[in-house]
Amino acid sequence: MSDAKSAADAAVSAAGRRISLQKVLPFASLIVLFVGLAIASPHFLTSTNLSSVVRQTAVINIMALGMTIIIISGGIDLSVGAVLAMGGLLGTMAMAKGMPIMAGVGIGILTGLGCGLLNGILIARLKIAPFIVTLGTLGIFRGATLILSNGLPVHEIPQGFAFLGEGNFLYVPFVLWLLLLCAAAVHFILDHTKLGRYAFAIGSNPAAAIYAGIPVSRYTIAVYAIGGMLTGLSGMIEASRLMTGQPTAGQGYELQAIAAVVIGGGSLTGGEGSVAGTLIGAFIMGLLSNGSDLLGISNYVQQVVIGAVIILAVTVDEVRKRGRSGGNA
Amino acid sequence: MGRGVLLELNNIRKSYGGVAALQDGNLSVSAGEVHLLLGENGAGKSTLMKIVAGMVERDGGEMLWNGRPVNVRTPGEAAAIGIAMVHQESLLAPHLSVAENIFLGREETNRAGLLKRGKMLEAAQRLIDEHHFPLSPEWRAGRLSPAGKQLVEICRALRNGSSLLIFDEPTSSLTVDESAEVMRIVRELRDRKMAVIYITHRLEELRAIGDRVTVLRDGHTVHHGALANVSTEELITHMVGRKLSGFYQRERQQPGPPMLEVRHLNAGGKLFDISFTLRAGEIVGMAGLIGAGRTELCRAIFGIDRVDSGDVLLKGRPLHVSSPRDAVAAGIALVTEDRQVTGLATKLPVEFNMTLANTDGICRWGVLDLQRQARVTEEYRKKLRIRMASPKQLAGRLSGGNQQKVVIGKWLFRGARVFLFDEPTRGIDVGAKVEVFEVMDELARSGAAVLMVSSEMQELLQVADRILVMRQGRITGELPGSTTQNEIMRLAALQVKS
Repeated sequence: MSDAKSAADAAVSAAGRRISLQKVLPFASLIVLFVGLAIASPHFLTSTNLSSVVRQTAVINIMALGMTIIIISGGIDLSVGAVLAMGGLLGTMAMAKGMPIMAGVGIGILTGLGCGLLNGILIARLKIAPFIVTLGTLGIFRGATLILSNGLPVHEIPQGFAFLGEGNFLYVPFVLWLLLLCAAAVHFILDHTKLGRYAFAIGSNPAAAIYAGIPVSRYTIAVYAIGGMLTGLSGMIEASRLMTGQPTAGQGYELQAIAAVVIGGGSLTGGEGSVAGTLIGAFIMGLLSNGSDLLGISNYVQQVVIGAVIILAVTVDEVRKRGRSGGNA
Repeated sequence: MGRGVLLELNNIRKSYGGVAALQDGNLSVSAGEVHLLLGENGAGKSTLMKIVAGMVERDGGEMLWNGRPVNVRTPGEAAAIGIAMVHQESLLAPHLSVAENIFLGREETNRAGLLKRGKMLEAAQRLIDEHHFPLSPEWRAGRLSPAGKQLVEICRALRNGSSLLIFDEPTSSLTVDESAEVMRIVRELRDRKMAVIYITHRLEELRAIGDRVTVLRDGHTVHHGALANVSTEELITHMVGRKLSGFYQRERQQPGPPMLEVRHLNAGGKLFDISFTLRAGEIVGMAGLIGAGRTELCRAIFGIDRVDSGDVLLKGRPLHVSSPRDAVAAGIALVTEDRQVTGLATKLPVEFNMTLANTDGICRWGVLDLQRQARVTEEYRKKLRIRMASPKQLAGRLSGGNQQKVVIGKWLFRGARVFLFDEPTRGIDVGAKVEVFEVMDELARSGAAVLMVSSEMQELLQVADRILVMRQGRITGELPGSTTQNEIMRLAALQVKS
């Protein structure tokens, strides 16, 4: 009896080990990619190049962290590219009007928060699919940004603002610290707070969440608000890197952010995803793009490669899940 | 082996991610017999049948069809050689018509590749008439009752010329009348020399249709033979692997003051003038046919569906519930009939599910105390004797009985005092059923009020202090726990003069 039980336990823990092995697959791919590029190009392992990879990916990365919570809760946000532009524009406009840099950054973040709140409220109160709501707000936010700016970029920005996107702190890009801070915060939210727990519950089974007495609307709104805030911050980083408040910034970024989450094991049906996975996903895409540049592969080919990687990553993940949840009963 | 053996399975093995679901699956079925496949949840019955039907691939073992080794890798391949399955949960396309579903994947087309709609409608009508099914080929499949959906699946199998039909717990969601109808059809199929494999948890059905029986336990074949040579008690012993009284009888006790009072409740044209009282320390049974409004009553009290008029009192005070949140806050728990859909987040760990209704209980300032979560999970695992590999195991991977215990544990940790159990033993094996009864008994003894909706009259007689009977949205009577099935049926099925 106890033999059978311990055999069963051993089988279960063996299964656990196998799953964790497959879990590190994205990380292993990242390492292989890194090492491969280091061998293939002498310019890869230089501090200039590595900093530039970090700076390039930071914007998508921070946005993708917000997207991770949203996707875990069973939602999606197609409006993040437009939110990024609006945040960047309003933040730089404030600075152009003479407000301090910190206030400008704050306005950018608050703009993101406001956009996220609006998305969340529309989704939770009107009970319309997030895909549709954010497809609509994508147009609204982008249009509003163009109206506010008259379609013209903002250039009168204080020099000090460049530090956010281009500065160094303790020998590494300042945005890396910012990224690590955001990642730690989102990880903490997901694994150690009620909000994170409810995001998983709502994404995994919304009916069960409602039946358990969870205030689903309120937490749905909170999830989109956090996503919006992180996107607003990304908008300020983007503006700082360009030293411009660009109303057309961030076009197509939503798809990159979603791709990062999905490559990292997030499921568009909700209930699955992690901060580590998303970071890896974003860096895989960043390295692919950087590597192509270094190796002289054309921008057109890059797009094909990244598209293929997304499909490959999700296929691997699906195979893993099928093996795991084949179901009994 | 014997003459006329249609399907033979030898030493079939299957593991899911390192966990063995089936280690030694053996079965032989002949044309013209109804072969019962019994076993507790998790014994491997469904896995074995999914292998036969081509839904999962076996890891090892031999499958012979008409004496020849075969390997079916998809449901299409299984259908091609004549194997069809009627599923526990319907796999029809809900937006298509009955006829379209019957012909799904095997549509008749003309030379240009266009569908011959009229011809298919006619053929479907002929099939339906031949077997006297209460269906119309033009109805939408999604609007059919569970029984109607099964009939469509049977039609599909007949249409495909199947020689083996597998029923996976066909009657678990059907009314008494519908069950009788399905069993009539099963007997008719047998008389037409088809082979039928029939999985069921309802022991009282066995004798009515079975010829031979195979029992699985923990992935092993532990018994097979003619049904006439084995008693029901012996079958239960084979299934659970230990002597067990199939006839649980609860000791009843004196009820306390009223906990939940429902007065003249009307809702959504489905509930009419419902009044009853649940007292502390009692288990009140709720009997009725499917569609009588019992689930709707639970939903209305729990704040899922809107109440049009009437009052609900909790401990004598008026209670206004307009959402499940209000109900949960008031200490009411609903254990739903479809726990995979509304009770559990099956893709999340057991420990998440256990604390889901009371996350505040493991939380301070919105931050989770994961050690407390572990302690809570361990406490209820012990208390409810939940069998799981670890607190991190996904809830969906537990057996039906253990899943149900997690749902109950969730409400216990929430501190609920009024429990609405809707079909608490559906899809649960015999051993776990008794354990669920024991939990309900403990709840009552601790002063909680329990409403138990069940279509299994025997269970109500075993457990309930008194039994309310519903029919067409009304309570038609109240019976003592010592009543008989006939009395319940009379109130549940008799036409009320109005």
